[in-house]
Amino acid sequence: MAQLRKRGLITAVICSDTFMKLGSAQAKVFGVPDLPLLEIKHPLGGLSMEKVRERADVALPQLIRAIKAIKEKQA
Amino acid sequence: MSLLETLKQKPGALVACDDDPEAVFDLMCSKGWSDGLPVIPPTAERVERMLAWCDRDLDQPVLNIPPRFGAATPVRIAANAVMAGCKPEHFPLVLLALEALADEQYNLYGTQATTHPCTPMLIFNGPAAKEAGLNAGQNAMGNYFRANAVIGRAVRLALVNIGAAIPGTGDMATTGTPAKFTFCVAENEEQSPWDPLHVELGFPRESTAVTVIAAESPHNVNDHESLNAEGILTMVAGTMTITGSNNPYYAGQPVVAFGPEHAATVANDGMSKADVKKWLFEHATLPLSRFSKDTIERRFRRKLAAQYADAPLDAPVRMFAKPEDLVVIVTGGAGKHSQYVPTFGNTRAATRVLKRADGTLAKSLNDFKRN
Repeated sequence: MAQLRKRGLITAVICSDTFMKLGSAQAKVFGVPDLPLLEIKHPLGGLSMEKVRERADVALPQLIRAIKAIKEKQA
Repeated sequence: MSLLETLKQKPGALVACDDDPEAVFDLMCSKGWSDGLPVIPPTAERVERMLAWCDRDLDQPVLNIPPRFGAATPVRIAANAVMAGCKPEHFPLVLLALEALADEQYNLYGTQATTHPCTPMLIFNGPAAKEAGLNAGQNAMGNYFRANAVIGRAVRLALVNIGAAIPGTGDMATTGTPAKFTFCVAENEEQSPWDPLHVELGFPRESTAVTVIAAESPHNVNDHESLNAEGILTMVAGTMTITGSNNPYYAGQPVVAFGPEHAATVANDGMSKADVKKWLFEHATLPLSRFSKDTIERRFRRKLAAQYADAPLDAPVRMFAKPEDLVVIVTGGAGKHSQYVPTFGNTRAATRVLKRADGTLAKSLNDFKRN
């Protein structure tokens, strides 16, 4: 993901809340500290499809905001 | 000015503390530099003594340890070895283990950060393992023996302090394992009926080697009754066939560590190591029906669809992908017990042979002593 970001593609990582610290630390380690992390409630594994959809509903607006922010920056 | 003197001048390189064991321990814990047990203070003098048994460039990283990708230079590793309680002559084996962990196929990044309870199992072979005092006899995977305790602990401290495998931020293990304090064993080559692991892998018998494996804690195989190979291996296969390890799902290299008495019973029936691996490959299987309905549908049928999409419920699920993937060693002392060690799965064992900086095989730990 960091490599894609460095190539100029719009990228984002979906990250459950428990893993946010690891996600942001790794974004810094890999040289993309501004990599958007889309925060969802933990866990993601072992969920019914209904619960997966609930998390997608939370992630989607964050993704749209991240895309808009990057577009505005590029403009 | 020596390298260490130069390093000492750097801001933050030295930390002042009362010369009192409790004060030192409190400081180490408050900084997050301990594994929760008391450590030896890594003073510059002690680090220097440790480095007297290192023939590598002291400021050149042996590896960069994820998830922080911290530069693991001999100087930094030596500080952790001092803290762990290593003698200076243990240091070449600590470095060797870390060199092995750098092998890409080991997948150090994944094993450091995963929720799975894995830790490097260090398996030492060869003369320098004995020279270092590594115990391969009674209680070989247990407590009491300094070399086993401190060499494994030094590696673990380096993984945390240099690599930032800190629980909750860099090490996301759900429960972890007590093996994360240390998991360092030597093979009991004298009592093994088979070639030791490093010889099996093609290295000279007189060389010293370490094999690193991302392992769970060992699971015991108690068999006081079986009188032949089939009996012992039936009990081993029974211990290996568990639904909760990673091995049924991912390619991996689990370990069977035979106690010498079990190994003798198996070998006396004419079975080679290769025969043992083949037998366990064929017999250590679970029917698909033993897994939960959701695990069958969501994992086997979808994620492992190539193999299980339409498999019947009595289809055998194997614990490793091919016979040669199983790692077989002999360790421990008297008694009718062996150990099965499941692994992380997305990892391969990595082996490194003890060599001097000039690339020649080391005959002794003394080869590393600086004049």
